[in-house]
Amino acid sequence: MIIDANAWLGHWPFRPLRHNDVPGLLGLMDRAGIDMAVVASVHGVLYRNAQRANEELAEQVAGHRDRLIPFATLNPNYPGWQRDLRLCREMGIRGLRLYPIYHGYDLTDAPALELINAATEMGWPVQLPQRIEDVRQRHWLDTERNLTAEEAGAVVAALPRTSFIFLNALGLPPGLFLGAGGSRSQPIVTDISRVSAVLRDDMRALIASVGVGALVFGTGMPFNYPEPALLKMRVLRASEEDKQRIYSDNLRAILGL
Amino acid sequence: MRIDAHAHVWPREGKLNSDLLERLVDACDRLEIAEAWCSCPVTAGMGDPETVRRYNDFVLEAMRRYPERIRGYCFVVAGYCRQALEEIDRCLNRGMLGIKLYHQYLINDPALFPVVEKAIEARIPILCHAGHGTDQETRRTQPKISDGVHFADLARRYPEAMLIMAHLGGGGDYEWSLQAITDTPNVYADTSGSVIDEGMVEYALRLLGAKRLLFACDETEEGGVGKVLGAEISETERQAIFWRNAAAIRARRVR
Repeated sequence: MIIDANAWLGHWPFRPLRHNDVPGLLGLMDRAGIDMAVVASVHGVLYRNAQRANEELAEQVAGHRDRLIPFATLNPNYPGWQRDLRLCREMGIRGLRLYPIYHGYDLTDAPALELINAATEMGWPVQLPQRIEDVRQRHWLDTERNLTAEEAGAVVAALPRTSFIFLNALGLPPGLFLGAGGSRSQPIVTDISRVSAVLRDDMRALIASVGVGALVFGTGMPFNYPEPALLKMRVLRASEEDKQRIYSDNLRAILGL
Repeated sequence: MRIDAHAHVWPREGKLNSDLLERLVDACDRLEIAEAWCSCPVTAGMGDPETVRRYNDFVLEAMRRYPERIRGYCFVVAGYCRQALEEIDRCLNRGMLGIKLYHQYLINDPALFPVVEKAIEARIPILCHAGHGTDQETRRTQPKISDGVHFADLARRYPEAMLIMAHLGGGGDYEWSLQAITDTPNVYADTSGSVIDEGMVEYALRLLGAKRLLFACDETEEGGVGKVLGAEISETERQAIFWRNAAAIRARRVR
């Protein structure tokens, strides 16, 4: 079984996305042999009121919950997020995907910690994309900043009871995944969309230093072609058991599937 | 069959980085890449002729170790005109198949004209580091990186030249550069780079045609192969990109 931790629905204002509605994404998943995917609405990145994107998302995935696992986007500085969080749970949403750079806050600001804690209390994991697109091709209205390893480390250290899933990430230090003094009660993982299985061989290095539990399968589709992630898994020098953990078991454990 | 038209070997502590070379060859084995066309450019500063020669020697050493797998581009810095032309002769005589330029000069700088004329004479390609970076960091650190506009300008001046605009997926707004080179048929684009935007290959193919696209990785091996495998194009087009176009370029060289 393959579960993609890093999929999206909706439009991106700076270039056309294909396969970005439910039939399109399911078609891409079928082509790639991907069984299920965690999806968030791209619109949640830039809508002033992210909850409107969550409502769209819940409507879109209705009838496809066997394959699409919706994650909400919320802004802890926007009024009413506490109510929105509750409504998202009622809509069947299973986790959070946050964009501190786009929404203008630091992950260790008090409102952000409060939001993440509230999600944690509900048993939700929290996804943190390091970036949406490569900043070298940024539109002149888009950000040119990625989430740094320091910012990631700070929020992880502040919230040991939260399951964090980093997306589109590269350069996170192994120590970040372990937690200070083994104090973490919940896992920290990164998807494989930007790490490699050859040359730099980030994946084997991470497995060697942290363990296979630090990796989950993720493509970034429909922003990205799914085939590179599939190729990484094919060429990765790891046991079939470890590969299965990356393909789906690690994420299933986090999501309670 | 796959030919990676943009690959590298690098120095480490004054020698060829053998570990990295072995990793490259291993990656080629695992991803069915028959040939990796390698260069070793000076990436910081201007690069004096002695350093340039030493770096090209690293490529020649890699070619000797893996004669079927590793092919070479001769890196030159055009400002050292006489030495650059001599270095091209030296490297071509030892089996290299093209010229590599980095961002020491914009590709349409007149300082490059003798190098371009040399490439035309030898019927070899010029692969040049490229990108239209829209972020401040790229503009600050690579003020002379060439984009499609610069390539198109040179291509119109030298329509016989075979120019390869490097890494569509590694250098910023690729749509900008593709738009700029659409009407200059002697500019190819290589597909390498870490950006694996869905639809990138198809858009490039729509503007340039399949014969002007070259499969490449530039050290993003799975991404390089994966984006061509994932592109919604015909098998004929895919094979043109994966190897036929590169093989045709290689076959043009004057012996």
